[in-house]
Amino acid sequence: MKLLIVEDDVAAAGLLKRGLEESGYAVDLAHDGEQGLKLARAGGHSLWVIDIMLPELDGLSMLKALRDEGRGAPALILSALGKVDDRVEGLRAGGDDYMVKPYAFAELLARVEALLRRSRSFGGGPDTLLEFADLKIDLLSRTVTRAGQKIDLQPREFSLLECLMRHAGQVVTRTMLLEIVWEYFFDPQTNVVDVHISRLRQKIDKNFSLPLLHTVRGAGYVLRVDA
Amino acid sequence: MPGAWILAAVLLGAAGAALGFWFARRRQRNLESLRSRLVAVTQSSRQTGDNIAHDLRTPLTRLHADVETTLRSEDNEAHRATLERVLTEIHGMQNIISALLTLGQAEAGGMPVKKRVVDISVLLEEILELYGPSAEERQLRLQGRIAPQIQVEADRQLLARIFSNLLDNALKYVPANGLVVLSATTKGGEVVITVEDDGPGIPVEMRDKIFERFTRLDSSRTLSGGAGGSGLGLSLVKAFARLLQGDVRAEESRLGGAAFIVTLPAATAGSSRPAP
Repeated sequence: MKLLIVEDDVAAAGLLKRGLEESGYAVDLAHDGEQGLKLARAGGHSLWVIDIMLPELDGLSMLKALRDEGRGAPALILSALGKVDDRVEGLRAGGDDYMVKPYAFAELLARVEALLRRSRSFGGGPDTLLEFADLKIDLLSRTVTRAGQKIDLQPREFSLLECLMRHAGQVVTRTMLLEIVWEYFFDPQTNVVDVHISRLRQKIDKNFSLPLLHTVRGAGYVLRVDA
Repeated sequence: MPGAWILAAVLLGAAGAALGFWFARRRQRNLESLRSRLVAVTQSSRQTGDNIAHDLRTPLTRLHADVETTLRSEDNEAHRATLERVLTEIHGMQNIISALLTLGQAEAGGMPVKKRVVDISVLLEEILELYGPSAEERQLRLQGRIAPQIQVEADRQLLARIFSNLLDNALKYVPANGLVVLSATTKGGEVVITVEDDGPGIPVEMRDKIFERFTRLDSSRTLSGGAGGSGLGLSLVKAFARLLQGDVRAEESRLGGAAFIVTLPAATAGSSRPAP
């Protein structure tokens, strides 16, 4: 299960990350609001831990932006501001819980667990929106849009795209795709995977000026923004 | 009655000699058969060795020439293109080596087999779906005639490799506009899965031989580099089928081309729980 921590105090963030990792969570880290927003939009997090006072974009504005986009991951707000008004403002901005610094790690962990438990029992789970450039996929409704335009994909094409988006910027090999999308662990001797990819490419890139799905010859495929 | 004693002794002696002679003949025959088996094994392993050497030397020669030429150029693009080709060649060689290792392991019984009850009808439909677009691209009609809910007790990954290998072959060797049919049915306690086509077929004298390592129907195909595989695919299919207590054979299809018939024991009622 992957969590996102947005905290500008590098030392505190590092400790928090280590503590959560030791408790069995995978952790993404951002040190300012803009970076946090980008990572959160890339998706896949089961919970966000957000500090309020952040450079570039403050935590509350960041959270508000994410909520306005319909992203539903539970958010735990961290803040040095402990007055009633501050807490109310934090929860109103879209926070699900609020902790005042300094906090005990044990309590933070317990609150993280409680939020995750609650989100699971209400049918939540990891963030269901993945985004790359102007391409968006919703894992729950299984819909895809590019630049706001709806794209119809076959179920297998959807899974291929989901896999590529979860590894955006990294080369994904044919063997990986076959393993993740079809759950087969072998290396086909013909271009079976390539043909599925070229059909997907037809749908997501053909009518747009900027190609996103690139072939890395001899290696595999990558979602990348370049010419 | 010394005469009788002498006769008995002579008879016994003769019987002993005959028995001795028979034992010696039998030993000699055993030795001969052992010797001819050893010769066959040595020849076949020498043949395999020669084939491996050939199959690896060809891409190595290409690589060598390619890299040498590119090193003389200052062009970054040319370097990149060469590296991409190098990667493809390495990939091909890795395929041959890993197929050989897998084959050795499978034939020696050293391969882990994770047997579970598998709904092979679902698996075959998935494989059809995986290969469908490729077949379409090659202008082949790929059809499934798969009876529902056929269960076998087998390793899902080995099954997938068996049928992907057979379909890889069909895609490579059946000419455009051809028909490839994947069918599955049960007969008695056996599950029979057939991959057949209306392509050129396999000559009778080759129908056993094609399951041997490095046998290719048309050697020119491999020399041209394009369609030819490692020549190990069908050996792997046979080894995997046997690991699953089944077998595979080649026949003439009612469609006119080749039919590869895989038989596997059907799952019994007491089989272990289905794979997740």
